[in-house]
Amino acid sequence: MYPAEIEDYVRPGTVAEALTALSKYEAGDSLMLAGGQSAMQAVKTRLLRPRCVIDLQAISELKGVSANGGALRIGPITPYAALAKEASFTGAFQAINDAAARVGDRQVRNRGTIGGSLCWNYVAACMPPVALALNMEMELTGPNGSRKVAADDFIHGPLETAREDDEILVSLNLAAAPANTGSAYKKWGLVTDALPVIGVAIMITTDSSGACTSARVAIGGLGDGPCRSKAGESAFQGVSANDSDGIAAALQAASDETETQSDMWADADYRKLLIRSLGADVAASAFARAAG
Amino acid sequence: MKTTVNITINGESYEETIPNRMLLVDFIREVAVQTGTHVGCTYEGVCGACTIQLDGEAVKSCLMLAVQADGHKITTVEGLATGGKLTPLQTAFNEHHALQCGYCTPGILMNMDEFLKKNPNPTEDEIRHGLVGNLCRCTGYAHIVEAVKAAASK
Repeated sequence: MYPAEIEDYVRPGTVAEALTALSKYEAGDSLMLAGGQSAMQAVKTRLLRPRCVIDLQAISELKGVSANGGALRIGPITPYAALAKEASFTGAFQAINDAAARVGDRQVRNRGTIGGSLCWNYVAACMPPVALALNMEMELTGPNGSRKVAADDFIHGPLETAREDDEILVSLNLAAAPANTGSAYKKWGLVTDALPVIGVAIMITTDSSGACTSARVAIGGLGDGPCRSKAGESAFQGVSANDSDGIAAALQAASDETETQSDMWADADYRKLLIRSLGADVAASAFARAAG
Repeated sequence: MKTTVNITINGESYEETIPNRMLLVDFIREVAVQTGTHVGCTYEGVCGACTIQLDGEAVKSCLMLAVQADGHKITTVEGLATGGKLTPLQTAFNEHHALQCGYCTPGILMNMDEFLKKNPNPTEDEIRHGLVGNLCRCTGYAHIVEAVKAAASK
């Protein structure tokens, strides 16, 4: 558990400087470090052997949350500790508060970042399913300019994303949510705040009577990487907060549709039970937040 | 392969040329010879014994390269007491028998010192949640929680 030799270390002050630093080595030979709480583990086990480490911590434009009307822009290197208490998420985007407050431990939350987690896309991570449920948009900048990618297209299989090696994740965008929208996230792990064996994120929009008009359901902790359950989302249509049978049916549809794996932490059937059990709590929170 | 860094530890500045791959905890222990910061889990980032404060924030020093701390201020357990006078948290650990072998204690002190600054009146649940990142295999945490509670009330 010790890093291999690292030829270069640079700490750019701007995204433009970071792109210049990236261009000095062949794509993939440089490692961008945000908080490094996952990436440094990979460097120490030598899963990653970067020739150059590009430390993003001094790029202030990548840090912080800003609002534009109801839309939000999250700087990718904003640490979990700040996201956990960010007031502008309340209601529609509150799943981010839920997830950020329970990632790892205090020390990890002081240093670890949302963008780092999304780019690493570890199977047992909280932020990827949250990004899927909230329909987050990732903005990437590379040598050929910028592009925007929806979370559905950004998040691939385990440890894989749409980001190219020469691109930097510069912004996480959330479009203004419709009225009566709420979201929540909950995970289950073997000990407090452990990596999720299953994590469930749900975003719900209701009409003025409280009936669901649209839902996004995303599940993490899966061997093939986080995914949405379209069957679960459809089944939430028309369901209200007090319709426990309707909620149970929607979560049954989600757990039936989702392919779960058996491993040392839990077997496949138990993971399906977790989807239903956590999902009931998450749906209740999301409905309550949608109602304000 | 090497970079010259200037890192301030407990108010003293250390300018050294070090390998880029050196972990911050090793800079603290081997270069600055401040050995109160411990390595419990062979650098895996799970035990919290190497917790220090980086610009006032509790972080694990085995999850950072030393070069990343260039230009930053670090406080270790040696930096808590001033003029030989222990902090209320340290005194509370003594009074409540919050350590047995003491190996995890420096990391817990550095974490809880920052925790109490951000949350001066914590509930027991908040204290226990705050301790998730620090493993103690002797005490069962009961006395540690008591000590943190006592320090908060001082």
